[in-house]
Amino acid sequence: MPLKIVVGIKWVPNTTSVSIDEKTGTLIREGVPSVVNPHDLIAVEAALKLKDRYGGHVTAISMAPPQAILGLEHVIGMGVDEGILISDRAFAGADTLATSYTLAKAIEKIGDYDLVIMGHETIDSSTAHIGAQVASWLDIPYIYYAVNLEYIEDKHLLRVRRILEDSIEIYNLRLPGLVSIAMHSDVPRRVSLTNKLRARIEKPIRVWSNKELDLDPNCIGLRGSPTVVAKVEFMPKVPRKQEVYKDGDPKEAAKWLVERLVKEGLLKIPGGE
Amino acid sequence: MGTVPTKFDIIVVGAGPAGSSAAYTLAKKGFDVLLVERGRVVGSKNMFGGRVYLKPLKDIYPDFEKSAPIHRWVTKERISLIHNNDITSIEFEGKEATSFITYLSQLANWMAIKAEEEGAILLTEVTVDRFEVEDGRFTGIRVGDETLKSEVIIDAEGANRLLLERSGIVAPLKPKHVALGVKEVIKLAKDEVEKHFGLDENEGLAWILMGDITGGTPGGAFIYTNKDSVSVGLVVILDEAIENIDKHIYNYVEDLRLHPLLKRYFGGGRIMEYSAHLIPEDVWGMMPPQYYYDGLLITGDAAGFLLNLGYTYRGVDFAAYSGYLAAEAVEQAYSSGGPSKENLAVYKKLIEDSFIYRQLRKFRGVHSLMKNKRLFTLYPLIMNLTARNLFLPEDESLKVLEAFKKARKGRVSWFTLLKDLFMVVRQV
Repeated sequence: MPLKIVVGIKWVPNTTSVSIDEKTGTLIREGVPSVVNPHDLIAVEAALKLKDRYGGHVTAISMAPPQAILGLEHVIGMGVDEGILISDRAFAGADTLATSYTLAKAIEKIGDYDLVIMGHETIDSSTAHIGAQVASWLDIPYIYYAVNLEYIEDKHLLRVRRILEDSIEIYNLRLPGLVSIAMHSDVPRRVSLTNKLRARIEKPIRVWSNKELDLDPNCIGLRGSPTVVAKVEFMPKVPRKQEVYKDGDPKEAAKWLVERLVKEGLLKIPGGE
Repeated sequence: MGTVPTKFDIIVVGAGPAGSSAAYTLAKKGFDVLLVERGRVVGSKNMFGGRVYLKPLKDIYPDFEKSAPIHRWVTKERISLIHNNDITSIEFEGKEATSFITYLSQLANWMAIKAEEEGAILLTEVTVDRFEVEDGRFTGIRVGDETLKSEVIIDAEGANRLLLERSGIVAPLKPKHVALGVKEVIKLAKDEVEKHFGLDENEGLAWILMGDITGGTPGGAFIYTNKDSVSVGLVVILDEAIENIDKHIYNYVEDLRLHPLLKRYFGGGRIMEYSAHLIPEDVWGMMPPQYYYDGLLITGDAAGFLLNLGYTYRGVDFAAYSGYLAAEAVEQAYSSGGPSKENLAVYKKLIEDSFIYRQLRKFRGVHSLMKNKRLFTLYPLIMNLTARNLFLPEDESLKVLEAFKKARKGRVSWFTLLKDLFMVVRQV
């Protein structure tokens, strides 16, 4: 049975070129190009690998302003079959609770799915909330830090390796379920010209506003978001000293380094003075 | 999924002014057009000083003034000779304009959208590796391991024409063929732009400066007022710059921005953008042997269609119009039976009958002036010394000619001076 996969992507400002307004504490987004969250591209890659191996259908879903169509076109260019853009002023200002609710309801509307795949976290907020929250709203099991997904077709299970700091756990995930792919665990494939052309010519992207989803205005957007950013504090600038050890002998160099670090109070040697 | 085509009537490579106008014109005529662009967004690889002449664009886009992103109309022209902390200028100001100032990225984007509106398919982030050639005919593009076929390719790849090089049509560019343009865009409030430069709403200034700001390298500097920012930069002849310049080129832009007499114009502004680009300079030296080949038409900077007037360049309108002519040529070829090599030859005729070719011929001597270093350092010095002698008298005022003679003496002979003057008057 071919897998029906939904993969979540976020359209984020390219944080390598974003700066922060020190007065207001908000991101200066003017003129900053947006990209698909790089960790989500690895989720897309995981979905496409499953599709390559077991057959199936991959739908990418994103909640974002209309420009994010470019992001959906990008992943369709990679081989995703279709895209759904959830876009409405009513969804704006959402925190992770309202976002996960909206995404979950959209996935419910898609209806027929076996697996939801998400990226580890986003580069613009790094909460890693959305996967767990979406799974909770959908009442399906979820696993984070997943790599090397394998589909056990006869039992309709997903074998998932979960990477922890010092071990790898292997799970059989009951489907439908959700996995969030460990960051940097794979390299997303390149966009192909044919798929890119398909994205432009067939336009396999649907846009859903709240007309289609019909969600309670109190559960979405700013009104559905209990999170408040109380304050943004800037890290005080730490004055840095720089000393260079010029002599060649590594033993002496190590000794010199340790002495300096101890002297600066940055290193304590047990039993030392 | 069988509906994705693998062949188009026309593939246009490069969504700059040349490519987008070709794609727009062809799509409007009903051709299947694919427009591919290397940049992530259209316009991201384009750069220019700031000014575009209207007429050619209006010929292509009848509604141009209504919907194109025009920042300001050039109602004020200033040409300055600069030496140290002295500037001598002549200025023309009026209420009419035939050129305007814009961001090229916005204009290129507008032009690409126009092409899409007419039905052209635009793909960005597509780097064409090479042209497909079968029995001497150009038949498509190769991107990675994928191929798309076409009846005609329009090459609008710009000054850095790797595809024409790989096809063996042109040799790699040499430094003597090109100039290097660098610029900064400095953000100011709209009313600050108007206040600093003495402009009313929608009015703009095109300001050219020549002198020691290019460090003795032939070339010049420019300042253009955008709607709510100012573009400031310089152009240097590349082979001369390689010889002369001892610091990174961006330092020259910085020197310009921080110049004691210029920095007040940018006061309080934030640098939004720094960019650099090659400009065809010796266009007759870098032109491809032909503009048309079997299945291939060459447009814009790639063909060397850029005019150096000596005090300013015309590139965008020339590029756009050459794209338009390429589209006309394709249509005429089809109506004469098909896009065979013989029928595509009409492109050569269209180019040679157009203002592009007439203008390039008329100004072909300007390039030779670029070799004369006196124009870029000595004469700005003499003119500023003359002005000093005239306007900063110790006690007794001098006559104009006296002031000039005093400035000239020991610096240049009358013979050389008159010869140079004659050269300039003849070429520019």
